[in-house]
Amino acid sequence: MVLAQTLAVETHGLSKRYSTGVLAVNNLDLRVRAGEVYGFLGPNGAGKTTTLRLLSGLLHPTSGTAVVAGAAPGSPASLARLGAMVETPAFYPYLSGRDNLRVVARYASVPRSRIEPVLKLVDLTDRARHKFKTYSTGMKQRLGVAAALLKAPDLLILDEPTSGLDPQGTIEMRALIKELKQGGRTVLLSSHLLNEVELTCDRVGVIAKGQLVAEGTVDELRARSGGSALLIRATPLDQARRLVESMVKPEQVRLDGDALLLSVDPSQAASINRRLVSDGVDVSELRVSEQSLEAVFLELTETPQK
Amino acid sequence: MIASFRAENLKSRKRWANWILIGILLAWILLLTYLTLFLVVTLSPKSIQGPVPASLLKRRLFPENFVPTVLGAAGTIGAAIMLIFGALSTASEFGWLTVQTILIQKPTRAAVLLGKFLALAGATLLIGILVFGAAALASFAAVTLDGSSSSWPAWEVMLKGFGALLLQLTIWAAFGAFLGIAFRSTAAAIGGGLTYLFVGEALLGGLLRNTPIVRDVLRFLPGINGDAINAAFPVTIRDSAGQTQLVNAGRGVITLVVYLVVFTVLSLLIFQRRDVGGS
Repeated sequence: MVLAQTLAVETHGLSKRYSTGVLAVNNLDLRVRAGEVYGFLGPNGAGKTTTLRLLSGLLHPTSGTAVVAGAAPGSPASLARLGAMVETPAFYPYLSGRDNLRVVARYASVPRSRIEPVLKLVDLTDRARHKFKTYSTGMKQRLGVAAALLKAPDLLILDEPTSGLDPQGTIEMRALIKELKQGGRTVLLSSHLLNEVELTCDRVGVIAKGQLVAEGTVDELRARSGGSALLIRATPLDQARRLVESMVKPEQVRLDGDALLLSVDPSQAASINRRLVSDGVDVSELRVSEQSLEAVFLELTETPQK
Repeated sequence: MIASFRAENLKSRKRWANWILIGILLAWILLLTYLTLFLVVTLSPKSIQGPVPASLLKRRLFPENFVPTVLGAAGTIGAAIMLIFGALSTASEFGWLTVQTILIQKPTRAAVLLGKFLALAGATLLIGILVFGAAALASFAAVTLDGSSSSWPAWEVMLKGFGALLLQLTIWAAFGAFLGIAFRSTAAAIGGGLTYLFVGEALLGGLLRNTPIVRDVLRFLPGINGDAINAAFPVTIRDSAGQTQLVNAGRGVITLVVYLVVFTVLSLLIFQRRDVGGS
């Protein structure tokens, strides 16, 4: 069943202050459309997991409201349409993977016949009889996804699903996430990995210090940050940096490895090149560079630039 | 709540730690209470020092004294085992973080916890039946091996005795479960519970029993009230002077029922309101 309303998740002024005084989520207004894969992006400690816990009903908000899958977070009506894996996949170590799913199925009042198909979907059938405590990180993650899928939920919340996975496992998990979107399911995916959301998500919300600082498609976010930039590789690099900083605003110049990245109109390339060469700087490369999502992310989350 | 109850039963049945605890309790009753006493009074009757001769002391193991013997044998050790049993059932969920896996399924928090308590009550009933059954078998074996004759208590007494055992086992399981939810740590729940049981109730309660102020407090403690209920099932031989009970059996039953309600309600309140995860 596909969510009837257009928004699968909607929050208004959602805030969470822990008893320690930490304000983890601050006046968050989040809107996840039904049927999309929404990437919830932010650095560690930005408030991603706290938000997902609030949406799952595990935490009580300090203020604000939320509607998740058409009902209040944590209510049976919401939980019945929600599958979630928040932070670590947590299961009973003394039970096998299959028995853990039996336990979850009983809590969720889901028929036992759902277990084998989800085990097959996450490719765990062969290891399902082994105890959870013997599982590798990747297998634990996959069992977590299987448990989240038991209810055949309309909304799937996955918190850092590729965390701790090896490259092969990461690729498989991304493919699985794309597959999960089939049938109009909404997927809310949190991650601090930029390429992950770039590869899997329709829209992205960037959270920093508990606040949503940007939202849109990956291309929209790039465009918001200038869209494209000039990449200059030159020797000596310090002299080249001083020269270009005298031509444009210093905050438009950023060091990107052994190159300079200039957030300026690409039409300035010729004049910049002339100036560098005339002042004795060897320019080995000068081209238009698409602004990477990483650069946008750094800009939005105000991470100090090198 | 039924969904939660069914899930809890599956978890509980498959957990080896639970069966080990039951094994320890049964071994204590069969080996240390029945077998040891039987062997000592049979093979080395002269080693028995005291006002009651070995031949008479042996009768404590016979069917006529079945109810007071099983209540006495399952007293403190039964309390400790059930406290651990209850604490494991709740505190482990926090240790493994499985509490968050449970709470993002369909049932409400209240349904999850009441299902857990119901499953715990079911497990306690099973343990009570096993303890009663094992002790009855041991009693039958003792009188048969001795070649003596002894009559079983009336069914009414047996039923009341089973009820008394069940009530006490349930209270301690509920206390353990409450501590598990309050502390969210298996070690703290078991450590705190056993310290209270052995130091608070057994040791201090025994040493300061005759101090007026302490006596007034002791009247409200679950162990003291359990002892009062057990004293309502006297043995046919007097092997010791016996301790004066601080409360009568009727009040003991009421007090324990109140404790059961209090532990359940407090657990519910904490479980409903508390955040899961985060810091």
